[in-house]
Amino acid sequence: MTQFILNGNPVVSASPDDTPLLWVLRDELDLKGAKFGCGIAQCGACTVHLDGVPTRACVLPVSAASGRAVTTIEGLATDAGEALKAAWVSEQVPQCGYCQSGQIMAAAALLEANPAPTEGEIVEAMNGNLCRCMAYGRIKAAIQVAAGEGEAQR
Amino acid sequence: MKTLPTLDLSRRRFVAGAVGGSFVMGLGLALPGCSSKEATEALVSPKPDAKFAPSLWYEISGTGDTHIFITKAEMGQHVGTALARIVAEELGAEWSQVRITHVDSHPKWGAMVTGGSWSVHTSFKALSQAGAAGRQLLAAAGAAHLGVPAEACTVANGRVSAGGQSVSFGTLVSLGLPGAELSAEALDALPLKAPAERTLLGRPVAALDIPEKSRGEARYGLDATLPGMVYAVPLLPPTRYGSILTRLEDGDATTIPGFLQTLRIEDPSDTIQGWGLVIAESLPAAWKAAEQVRAEWTPGPTADVDEAALLAEGARLADDPAEGVRVVDHGGIDRVLAQAPRRLTAHYRTASALHFTLEPQNALAHFDETGHCHIHGGNQWQSLILPVLSKALGLQEADITLHQYALGGGYGRRLFGDQMIPAALAARALGRPVKLVFNRDQDSRFDCVRSPSVCRFDAALGPKGEVLGIDHGVAAGWPTLSMAPGFLAPGLNDSGRYDSFSISGADHWYSLPAHRVRAINNPLAQKTFLPGWLRAVGPGWIGWGVESFMDELAHAEGVDPLAFRLARLDGAGPNGGDGPANEGGALRLKAVLETVRERSGWGRALPKGSGLGVAVAHGQERGMPTWTACVAEVAVAEGAVSVKKLWQVIDVGTVIDPDGARAQAEGAMLWGLSLALHEGTAFEKGQVRDRNLDHYTPLRMKDVPELDIHFAESTAFPSGLGEPPLIAVAPAIGNAIFAATGQRVRDLPIRLS
Repeated sequence: MTQFILNGNPVVSASPDDTPLLWVLRDELDLKGAKFGCGIAQCGACTVHLDGVPTRACVLPVSAASGRAVTTIEGLATDAGEALKAAWVSEQVPQCGYCQSGQIMAAAALLEANPAPTEGEIVEAMNGNLCRCMAYGRIKAAIQVAAGEGEAQR
Repeated sequence: MKTLPTLDLSRRRFVAGAVGGSFVMGLGLALPGCSSKEATEALVSPKPDAKFAPSLWYEISGTGDTHIFITKAEMGQHVGTALARIVAEELGAEWSQVRITHVDSHPKWGAMVTGGSWSVHTSFKALSQAGAAGRQLLAAAGAAHLGVPAEACTVANGRVSAGGQSVSFGTLVSLGLPGAELSAEALDALPLKAPAERTLLGRPVAALDIPEKSRGEARYGLDATLPGMVYAVPLLPPTRYGSILTRLEDGDATTIPGFLQTLRIEDPSDTIQGWGLVIAESLPAAWKAAEQVRAEWTPGPTADVDEAALLAEGARLADDPAEGVRVVDHGGIDRVLAQAPRRLTAHYRTASALHFTLEPQNALAHFDETGHCHIHGGNQWQSLILPVLSKALGLQEADITLHQYALGGGYGRRLFGDQMIPAALAARALGRPVKLVFNRDQDSRFDCVRSPSVCRFDAALGPKGEVLGIDHGVAAGWPTLSMAPGFLAPGLNDSGRYDSFSISGADHWYSLPAHRVRAINNPLAQKTFLPGWLRAVGPGWIGWGVESFMDELAHAEGVDPLAFRLARLDGAGPNGGDGPANEGGALRLKAVLETVRERSGWGRALPKGSGLGVAVAHGQERGMPTWTACVAEVAVAEGAVSVKKLWQVIDVGTVIDPDGARAQAEGAMLWGLSLALHEGTAFEKGQVRDRNLDHYTPLRMKDVPELDIHFAESTAFPSGLGEPPLIAVAPAIGNAIFAATGQRVRDLPIRLS
């Protein structure tokens, strides 16, 4: 049994301690936004936030989330998160879309830590997230748009 | 020569009728003797023996919502948006009231395939006519309602208007529209909008699939669930073919909580050979159990095949002028070569490459209480896998339904749905829904690999190095031979049958005095793995050879490589095009090449170690070319290639969705770059060597160069975009490396040593 906070609400998982968090989220708690891609923490499709830090759920044992806060794309409701989702539409980012939950979660963590990243900082932060359709240019542009909106509000 | 899945136009019929509160309109094939009544009934409630098969369908509700059913798979190309725009344009629909649904595999939809960059090209005429037929019907009803002649009415934004008054589509549907029917002749006589009258095509539009993909709400095959389902993970044999599972015991898997059983797969279709499955209550439990079961195989005959052997076999065949099905043969190349004062020969090769769809292959199968088989997952070619499933399960195709989901990457991998077979066999054996999932390693091992390929060129040169003729042999594994042999095309002069998708691009648009193209199957590749259609297919590897060798020929003659190409794109004879789809022929290719010359500043001085390279492409086929010209700027330092910028000019004919078109071009060009420099694997001991991202390394964000993409203004018949912009990128890079260093690269992926 593992207890943690999921998108603001306390939850209990009955899965074995070593079950990767991804499958607890997807198959036990029925949140399908985080995706399975490589299984070795190299594609980023499974990215969620663990206490605000972008984390690969495919290799994180659920026990490691015990007592901590997990945020998935479904629960991403910060200003930066909303700005990113809107920018993903305005910049027409997704192609197949399969990696995009992970991309947005990685981008949201970046903007939380660094609200006005340079282009180089965006590339640095996002390089670990594979987009097989290679919509990289638009991902970068959308992050710049979302960051710009945050900037305008401040 | 090519067999595109288009309608037999002479048997088309348009049928419309009221169903419930909606008005339904369809376009399809009518069998001889099909009455109007039968056709309308088939539209409303189709039966397998109906004489009318609607292949395209939309309906308008009493609120005016226009619902368009999409038979094509959504895998990133926003295809539903593009196809719906075509219908809505001619119909005069209000775009904000257009909805789309991706349909299941019910036989009423007819042949279902999404590939070949065909979707817009093969649907454009039928969709336009279906929309125009609906517009004519609504205009007539609207005119009657408004008490004016139909000629006085305009139809736009979901309303029929005349002289200051108007009525909405929804009102007309609510009031009741009469049924209608149009013959093929009447459809062809319908007036279609002139390009200048269009209000939707070519205008900006937000893709309908993007909002849900931007909130994590799109549903992919891997997300499908059913009550009571169990999970299955495969135990894959050491070879795709001929391995025998000699031992399958639970072993210590019984200690894993959630483990249920192992299962041996016997597939009557012989597609799945020597597989076992591990069944468990969760995916992690199934994977853990799979490490504990005892499975042993007698390996199949190709268990020792490696990449070098595959390429050696390809080269052996390509080197023999007697080998291969003749696809192009004019000018007496054997004589020209024998008499030539000089010859230039070269081999161009490409290594095995993977689709690596980010969503691994999966399928959820279930038999309902009537014994009907339901399979949930994303698929590109329902009409290909249904007959295979039928054989595997001993069911009629009509007793199997494929339920479509968003595809987490297609790129040609999901043209084949082989993973559905073990899922369905297991669901029947266990009497409950089974969700089968490949892990990444398995997805790579049993990918439909892009075959390693060999192009061998033998050019006859005149005294000044001018090209007198080329013999071109192309050897590779042929996807169509394994998966769809009915689509093999007949070669010239009874020279055999060949996979047109594995030779397209060799039949290029340059005028040559003598030219022969030989399409050669590599039998060792064919039996070692299942060759696949990977994005851009044949032109993806053949363009690498053709356009690199053109550069070699230009240098042999001492001519600028861009000027060398322009001089041979004269549109003479068959290179002038032979129909609306390739109207203008080589002269359109010449035009995009001239434009890219200007945009890239071709000929300008560059620092030492930097260079510009050029290449053209005309994918996917001579019958539906998209004309592209690409220039690459590279810098080479200490053996490392850095691509600084890519220019591409594209003439796709009429552009339907401008931003969607640009997105496809961006993705395809970066795929071309990725396959040129970042991706590629090799067979080792009968299997692909690099199976996950620790070794298989597609392009990442840091590798993206500046892109300059320009679409030519055109009102010509639309071609396709998913693949063609990929093709010229690798040879442009290779040619730029030569310009920068003097080193000619002939292998993909490019490795400077």
